[in-house]
Parts: sequence; C-alpha cells; structure tokens
Amino acid sequence: MIDKIILTKYIISPKVFWSKFILLGFFILVGFACSLYMEHEGHYVTGMNNQIVWGLPHIFAVLLIVIASGVLNIASISSVFDKKLYKPLAPLSALLAIAFLIAGLIILVLDLGKPDRLIVAMTTYNFKSIFAWNIFLYSGFAVVLAAYIWTMLDREVNRFSKYVGTFAFGWRIILTTGTGSIFGFLVAREAYATAILAPLFIVMSLLYGTAVYFLILKTISKFHKTYISNDILMNLRRLTVMFLFANLYFLFLYHITNMYIAKHVEYEIFILSNGGIYTFAFWLGQLLIGIILPIIVINSKKLCNELSLIISSILILIGSFVAMYVIIIGGQAYPLTIFPDHIIIESSFYDNVVHSYVPSLYEFGLGLGGVALALIIVLIGIANFKFLPTLIKSPKKNLSDEQENTAS
Amino acid sequence: MTDTKITNRRDFLVKSVTALSIIYVVPDIFPMADASIKKPFDKKVNASTKWGMNVEVDKCVDGCTACVEACIDENGLYGLDRPETDSQWIRKLVIKDIASDKVTTLPMMCQHCENPPCCDVCPTGASFRREDGIVMVNQHTCIGCRYCMMACPFKARSFVHENLTQQLTSAPRGKGCVESCNLCVNRIDHGSETTACEEACMKEGHVAISFGDLTDPNSRVSKSIKRTNNRRLRADLKLKQSVTYSGF
Amino acid sequence: MLLALYSNNLYSHDGEKHIIKGHSKADKLEQCVEPTEDMQKNHFGYLYHQRDETVKHGIRTKQHSLANCIDCHVSYDDKGDAISINSEGQFCQTCHVQTAVNIDCFTCHATVPREKQVRLDLKHNQDSATTIEEHTSSLAKYFNETNDDRY
Repeated sequence: MIDKIILTKYIISPKVFWSKFILLGFFILVGFACSLYMEHEGHYVTGMNNQIVWGLPHIFAVLLIVIASGVLNIASISSVFDKKLYKPLAPLSALLAIAFLIAGLIILVLDLGKPDRLIVAMTTYNFKSIFAWNIFLYSGFAVVLAAYIWTMLDREVNRFSKYVGTFAFGWRIILTTGTGSIFGFLVAREAYATAILAPLFIVMSLLYGTAVYFLILKTISKFHKTYISNDILMNLRRLTVMFLFANLYFLFLYHITNMYIAKHVEYEIFILSNGGIYTFAFWLGQLLIGIILPIIVINSKKLCNELSLIISSILILIGSFVAMYVIIIGGQAYPLTIFPDHIIIESSFYDNVVHSYVPSLYEFGLGLGGVALALIIVLIGIANFKFLPTLIKSPKKNLSDEQENTAS
Repeated sequence: MTDTKITNRRDFLVKSVTALSIIYVVPDIFPMADASIKKPFDKKVNASTKWGMNVEVDKCVDGCTACVEACIDENGLYGLDRPETDSQWIRKLVIKDIASDKVTTLPMMCQHCENPPCCDVCPTGASFRREDGIVMVNQHTCIGCRYCMMACPFKARSFVHENLTQQLTSAPRGKGCVESCNLCVNRIDHGSETTACEEACMKEGHVAISFGDLTDPNSRVSKSIKRTNNRRLRADLKLKQSVTYSGF
Repeated sequence: MLLALYSNNLYSHDGEKHIIKGHSKADKLEQCVEPTEDMQKNHFGYLYHQRDETVKHGIRTKQHSLANCIDCHVSYDDKGDAISINSEGQFCQTCHVQTAVNIDCFTCHATVPREKQVRLDLKHNQDSATTIEEHTSSLAKYFNETNDDRY
C-alpha cells in the first residue's frame, strides 16, 4: 500500500467555524446595509459623480471577477493539461471561482442605479453591448462551474470531468476577454480604446488567481491539515514567476501601444509622469509592489519556497487592487478630449480638469462585504463537501514523506 | 366581380363625387397628411424626418447662458447645488485654439450621433436612437449601470444621483437613471418647431443655434448648414452626429 | 384610472368603498377612457403599452397616457391646489395599498399636473398641438417666413 491523497471536508471545531462565520457574516451585513443606504439616498452619498462614474465598487467587482476566472487555473491545469499532480487541488479551485464570481456580480448589481430592475437586465438585451454578453458569460460560467464541481466530486460522473473542465477553461478565457473588453471597446476614453486590454486582463487573471488560490489554501491549512506537496509548491512558484513576467510584458505592451497611438499620447504622459496620485499609484503600486517586488522576492535564494511564495502572493494582491484603481479610476480621471486642437478654458461640467475621486465609506463597506461573501461561500462549501486534499499515510511510512508533509 | 365601366348617369355622379371627395375632403379630415414637419399624434415617428442642429459658433456670445437656463427651465433640471453630481444637459464651454490662440465659446450637449457609442454599449437597449434621429434614454428600462457615460466622447450624459421631486409632467426624470438632451422630444412630438435652447437663443437675438429637419432643405438648420462651413466634433470617430458646429 | 361612479366614492377590487379627499375632474364623469371593469383590471396593461409607444415611437395620443390619467384623477383641495396622486388616501394609493402592489411611476413622473407647455384639456389632440405650437414656435415662424438677414 502506498500513501494516498483523498479529499475531505473542512474538519474544525464548531467554535472556530462559527466564529469565522459570524465575522464574515458581519461584514456581509455591513456591506448590504451600505448598499441599501446608497440605493435609498442615491449615489450622491458616494464618491462617484458625473465625472468618475465608476468607482470603488467597480474596482472590487472587476477584481473579484478577474480573480474568479484566474483561480480556475489550478483546475484547468489538472483537467486540460492532464497534470495528475494538481488533481487533488482542482475541486477547491472551482469552488473559489464560483464564490468570487458570485461576489463580484453581487457588488456590481448592488451598485446599479436601479438594482430593483435586475429583472429588466435579465430579460431585455442589446446584443451589441459587451455588457449584455457578459451577463450571459458570467451566469453561464457559474453554471459550468457547478457542473464541473459535480463531475469532480461525484465518482459516477467523474469520467466527464475532463471534458467539462476543458469547456470551463475555454469559457473562462472568453469571460476574461469579455471583462477586458468592457474597457477595451470604449472609443471615447484614451485609456481604454485598445483591444490589448483583453489579453492584459487574461494575464492579470492568471497571476491574481494563482496568488489568491495559494493564500486561501495556506489559510485553510492553518486550521486543517491540507496536503500541499513540495512539487506543487515548486510548480506554483514557477507559474507565478511566469505570470509575473507575462504581466510585465503585457503592461509594457499596453503602454507602448498607447504611446504609438498619437491621440493617446497625452494620456500616457498623464499616467506615467504628471498624473499626481494616479502616476504614483501606477509606479509604486501597480508596477513596483504588484510586479517588480514579487519577482525579486520569489527569486530570492534566502527565503524558502513557501515563504517567498506567500510574501509575493500578498504583494501581488496589493498590486492587483492598485492596478484596478489605475485602470478604472485613472482612466476616467483624465478629461475627455472633445476638441483635439483646442484647450478648454472654461466649463461648468469639469471638462478641463483632472477629476478627483474620494471614495466614501459606503462604497468601501459594499466592497468588503463582497469579499466577505466570497469567503463565506468558500467556508460553507469546504465545511459541507469534500474539497480539501488530505494525505492518508500508509502504515509503513518513511522519513522523506514526513519531510514533505511539514513543508505544507 | 366589379364592373369598372361607367354604365349610367347615376353611377357617374357617385363615382365622380367620391373621387372629388378624396381629393378635397380627405386632406381636411387629416390635415397632417401634407405637413412635413408635424406628425399626427397616433403615428409613429419615421426616418423621413431627421432632427438636427447647427451651432454657428461665431454668433455665440461669451457669458450668455440663455440656452442653458432655457433647458433647465424646460426640463426641470433644478440642481441641488452639488455641481459634481447635478445634471447638465447643455453647458457652455470656452475653448482656445492651440495654434491661433483664438478664443471661442459654444454650447455643448448630446450630439445625437447616427452611430451612438452610448447605444452600442447599453446592456438593456435603454439608450436608443429614435427613427427620427433623436438619441435618448428609455428610463423605463435604464438600470443605471452608467456604461453609456463611460462610452460618450462628449460627456453629454448625467446620472441622477438623488431622489427628485417637482418633476415636470413633460419631462419625467428620476433617481438611478441616466439622462441627457433629447432635443426637447416632448415639444417636437407635440408639433413644436423649435427646442427650448434654440428659442432662447433667438429671443436673445443671437441666433447661433438653428434647429430643424435635416432632410428638409428649407429648414433653418439646413439653411444654416448651407450658408456656413459646418463640421462635426471628433470627426475622427465617425459617429455622424446630427449636431454640428460652424465658424471655428 | 378607476371610474368615479358616485361623486367621489370609489369601489376597490373587493367592492369596498373608498372616500378620497378633495375633488377631481373624474368625479363628474360617467366613465373613464375604457369601461370601468376593464380599467380596474387592465389599467397597467394600457399604461405599459402606451409608455413604450410614446418613448420609442413618439406616439402622443392621450387616451392611455399617464399624464392624462393624472390630469383627470388628481384631486384638488379646498384652496384649489392639486394633491399628489400617490399620496396616502389618494386615487392611486387607495387601491395599491390595499392590494400591496408597489407603484414605480412616481420616482420619475410628476404626481400633479405640472406642465410646461402641454395643455391637457380633454379636447381633440390636434387642438392642443396648435396651442403648443403657438406657444413655442412663434419665433421660429418669424425666422422662417421673414427673410431676416441672419438666415
């Protein structure tokens, strides 16, 4: 008999479970209360206005949706690329994807001017709109994921797992393309009008998803002995390095493209050199914390595999938030070029100023509530279904296994 | 089978009276049949009219906000003294030519594009272009996602950020929807030939704004376009706006 | 849009009497724009149909227009001021509270006749068109007809 990895439920004391549940539940309630207040009073209580029309809720929502598509990486590697090593990790990856997707969507819906008209959004479509497509892509993705989880967890339908997994993989690539295209198709704004945003969003999703997956698995293993072998650790590390460089490459490409599009040059100058907080956020947050530092940390010889991956994952997540801030808020802050050969001297509608955005606590509460919702779905999921890889040792175990186990 | 031949005197009389009545009486019963601008209330708008506007910028006076005030008055756009969130359907801009330093002032509003980016991105189709060229928001299906505001190159749209009261019967508007200039659609549908802003501009004696049917060569807007060298803003985007500017 | 049969008393769906404060034009009329029973059941259908026709296609007939409903059914107090049609105990609200159906019309639509140009005097449509036109287009006419050098 050899050692076996089996999937188990999240086995912790009820006390620990409920304390987490109540903590997350509290944040969800606060988030819901915030959204109710915003809806009741109208959006003037938020930091959003006619200049910055999409704010903090959209940063949270887009980030969560991007992550949702990214965390499915692990499952895709196991099913699409047939890596046995990743197989035990796949179900959790699909669960995370569904949780983050739902959370992102709920934030998006609760920030609508008319959330009560969700039924209109579900019944009236304009198929020219990438938003309308996304409604299908997102809800369809949730269904595909649910089917995928089913095939992975139920032995009777397990043989379909590979096909459903491949389908889910294809779907998520299209989904992230759709998310990137929300911005990519906006001809009016210099920050956005380029199709390169779609692949940029895909590599971002790969990077952020892997980081989130690893951090959540690590957090779970604090309370429950999940099994992460050294091989997987090495693999994740290599993946992260690859995604980091891919991100750097596409970010570089995006800005180079914009610099070559003559009418976008001024926006580039704005975001790269004289945009105040936005320039600062780009260089320090998106580039340094989000990409450069993780590359340095993850390659440092002084830290062990695991620690370097943990630190770089945390840095990547901080960077991801700032990246969304730069893309979503920075892109809107730069005033529209209505008259390419004129300067606007006077306007009552802020046509000639760089817009500022000070988010309100309500928006922040809504965003945090969304994150808490994602986590509570994960918590409930792993406590009730067998998602977590656990090592069952054979009676005649040897020392090398012991070593491997401590690494987790 | 009906016999088309006129067989007797009585038949002749009946037929000729019918023919005459079609020629003379029917147009009186339906007085709108020949009027090109006014349409009957129960007829759908169609593409035979295309509403448009031309602004002769050199006639527009710096400091005059008559059109803006008229619009506020017409549509009940009374703000709450929160300039960042209050709606503005039309606004005055002062711009300076980079090359020649020439300073111009002009009104800016929804440009009523033929290929409107706002309508392309709207997920529910609430932003739409009416057959007669008016781009407007169907506030019954607008969910307030504000994607159209992201897409508009002219910053023509506003989002209603708070509960409103005192709306006008002729201009319903409310919290959570996006709104913008609709070329005074209520007036036009009721047979008016002018928008509030054009009327105000005429009253001021500046006559910078000309509104009318672009398909009618005798409309004020067509005459204005013929007389001056008009152009579209951001022509590089190929949006084919119905609102044009001349003289700068 | 329910019909006022006996002065200002109304019948709700269950036949219970409601008494509305103030007086409205509808009080004096025999019947609404459709037979009473039809209106009780289908008024929203008419409004719903009309709203799309009006917004999308510019149809401005009055028979089923919300503005027309309000104009006729809004009550006036002793001073002659209109009372919001959706305020408590008024025309819309009496039934809609009873049946617990929320109305979404009045976040946007005016609750009293508050017109800018349109005179809704229950005459033929075209009549009011003439008055609006006179009201708004006199200047336009002047510039159209005279050969003003600015044109």
